[in-house]
Amino acid sequence: MTWLVWRQYRWQAAIAALLLAVFAAVVIATGLQMAAQWHSMLPACTRSSPCSATSASLGSQVGHDLVVLSLAVPVILGFLWGAPVVAHELETGTVNFAWAQSVTKTRWLLVKAGWLLLAAAVWGGAVGALVTWWSGPRNAFYSEQFQPNYFDQQGIVPIGYAVFATALGIAAGALTRRTLVAIAVTIGGFIGVRLLISQTLRAHYMAAVTAYYNPLGYYSPPGGAWVLSTGVVDKYGHVFSGGSAPQVNGVPVTAIPASCRGLLFRDLNTLSRGQVHQAVSCMQASGFRGFTTYQPASHYWPFQGIETGIYLALAAALLAVTVLVIRHRDA
Amino acid sequence: MISFRVDGRSGVPPYLQIVQQVRQALRMGVLSVGDQLPTVREVVAEVAVNPNTVLKAYRDLEREGLVEARAGQGTFVRGRPPGPPPGTHSRLGRSLARWVREARSAGLDDESIESLLRVTLRADSAVRDSDSEEIA
Amino acid sequence: MNTAIETQGLSKRYRRVTALSDCSITVPESRICALIGPNGAGKTTLLRLLAGLARPTGGDVCVLGGTPRQDPEFLAGIGYLAQDIPLYRRLTAEDHLKAGAHLNPRWDGESARTRLRELAIPLDRAAGTLSGGQRAQVALALTLAKRPRLLLLDEPVAALDPLARRHFLGTLTAAVAESGGELTVVLSSHLIADLERVCDHIVLLAESRVQLCGDIDTLLAEHKVLVGARKDTSALERAHTVVHAVRTARQSTLLVRLDGPVLDPAYEVSDVNLEELVLGYMGASAAPALAHLTAVGEDQ
Repeated sequence: MTWLVWRQYRWQAAIAALLLAVFAAVVIATGLQMAAQWHSMLPACTRSSPCSATSASLGSQVGHDLVVLSLAVPVILGFLWGAPVVAHELETGTVNFAWAQSVTKTRWLLVKAGWLLLAAAVWGGAVGALVTWWSGPRNAFYSEQFQPNYFDQQGIVPIGYAVFATALGIAAGALTRRTLVAIAVTIGGFIGVRLLISQTLRAHYMAAVTAYYNPLGYYSPPGGAWVLSTGVVDKYGHVFSGGSAPQVNGVPVTAIPASCRGLLFRDLNTLSRGQVHQAVSCMQASGFRGFTTYQPASHYWPFQGIETGIYLALAAALLAVTVLVIRHRDA
Repeated sequence: MISFRVDGRSGVPPYLQIVQQVRQALRMGVLSVGDQLPTVREVVAEVAVNPNTVLKAYRDLEREGLVEARAGQGTFVRGRPPGPPPGTHSRLGRSLARWVREARSAGLDDESIESLLRVTLRADSAVRDSDSEEIA
Repeated sequence: MNTAIETQGLSKRYRRVTALSDCSITVPESRICALIGPNGAGKTTLLRLLAGLARPTGGDVCVLGGTPRQDPEFLAGIGYLAQDIPLYRRLTAEDHLKAGAHLNPRWDGESARTRLRELAIPLDRAAGTLSGGQRAQVALALTLAKRPRLLLLDEPVAALDPLARRHFLGTLTAAVAESGGELTVVLSSHLIADLERVCDHIVLLAESRVQLCGDIDTLLAEHKVLVGARKDTSALERAHTVVHAVRTARQSTLLVRLDGPVLDPAYEVSDVNLEELVLGYMGASAAPALAHLTAVGEDQ
């Protein structure tokens, strides 16, 4: 069965290897260039603070675009590799060749899907590793690897995404039995699940840390953290985090107790230190505190592991569904 | 080597067509005593009939004494059906062709020739029957 | 004699559609069995149930002494050839042979290659570039190379020209001859002329039910066509089974399954061929709403 899988897909495998090589070449070339740039900047940066280089200047545009595009790699694997694998064979009837040999439907599916998922994991992992390496200087400089989208490109989660997308493609193919419909379902389903998990679930993998501080200041957690929310909270727990009404440091003027309003009714930058101290004490006495809720940098790798685990579990569930569908549906 | 044809529409069962074709081949001299008949496999590969049809035909021919099956070697012609020697057919065929040419120039079409032949055959059979009755 | 196939009350229902209903058939070993029926009658469903590719929703089925199931041992004994000749378009015949060698416990690739060479079919060209007849021969060679004991062929010659059909059936019957009685074949087709030459057993499906099942020679001997002036047929119906009747204003033509001799001299009795038999049974099973169409010029 493995022989047949190889014989059927050896051209696709060759093309995929070629594309990976091209991707690697561009990433490595721009990455080396960026690293050189970083190393030459480094002495100047540590001496003066802060570094004045803007985000766009570290690294070339081509490298950037390619790395952002790498976010699309899993869904492309899903609909290019996963969706046609079963759907096309069901559509054209060639399943009846394999199933007419002495191989059961289950074994046919598991060997085929197994190799494909392995290939997806390798491909996704290679792309993720290349992007992680490329992002080295940027991570050192901006510590943005925990931020949304950056989190999705680096580390081990690309493996999870790629395996999930491929398993989704295979399942969609088995359920819909039409290649084009399966492709549409794969793209839609993948985007839907990714958005759902990254927007609503990811923040809660582990308990976040909340730091409180003076209501007129701000707090930046140590580098590499992922800030979830920040603002001012009053003694009732009501959160103020900005808006269109006139406000001071995010708190609408109407919510500030009358006793403090007078102290704040000026541009804070023109106040003397003593005056600022007075204003802060007044706000704090009324129960206002500033807060920042964040996931600390130490949670980065556990989060990578948890998210990868979630996607691999989803892939396993999809594979089980596919086996059931193939066995019970008489194509 | 003889090759068979089976006509699905002739109304004659396929196995009987094969038997008749073997007998005819023997009469015409296409097959002689000692020749090997094609194997069942060879016949069906060419003619696409059920192998049992050929087996049945060969068994019938064997029962009539025309062929014999030699274990492990095949089926061989053993005898000829009763009738005149092969040369007779060609001689009679030639004189028939002459008669047909004469009939045509006299103005008979195919249908009239066939019906004349049928009537003559029937009349001749009737005469031979009454002759044999007399003898008996 | 052993039976290759035996089913009892076999049925298969999908969510809203009944594909097969209460099928009971018997096919003895070493037969070449014709599976005939209109489109949608359930022929493909029956073949897939026998091949272990689908599971019945009711009844029993016994193939080669066992229940059809997704099991390598069982699958190795069955040669199933689906409609539309399933071959990978981009792979060559040689590739398919290698795949078969990897996927089957018993594989006779050499005889398949010999057969294809004798038919002058190239082994190194992509299957998609071969003609329909060549693809059918490749698929048949692959199926036979498994050394199965039962062949299930779903309309293999449907799309072939007459010469390709003749070659295919020739190859098939030659394989049966070579097998020395070890091979049983079930062959579904619409072309009754081909089936009459090649088959000795018949299963007729119509309206998802079995209308006829048995040895062809026996069935042909048991049925006659009776033609006579139109009159009351109740006496005849008591003595025999009237399968199908066509009545005009003056004349009745009856297809009858005999239970003894026909004693009524008013009828002219003639033999029936396979096509008339099949059409008679298929016509008899057509929906009652269509039945009036068989009465030509009948007085209303």
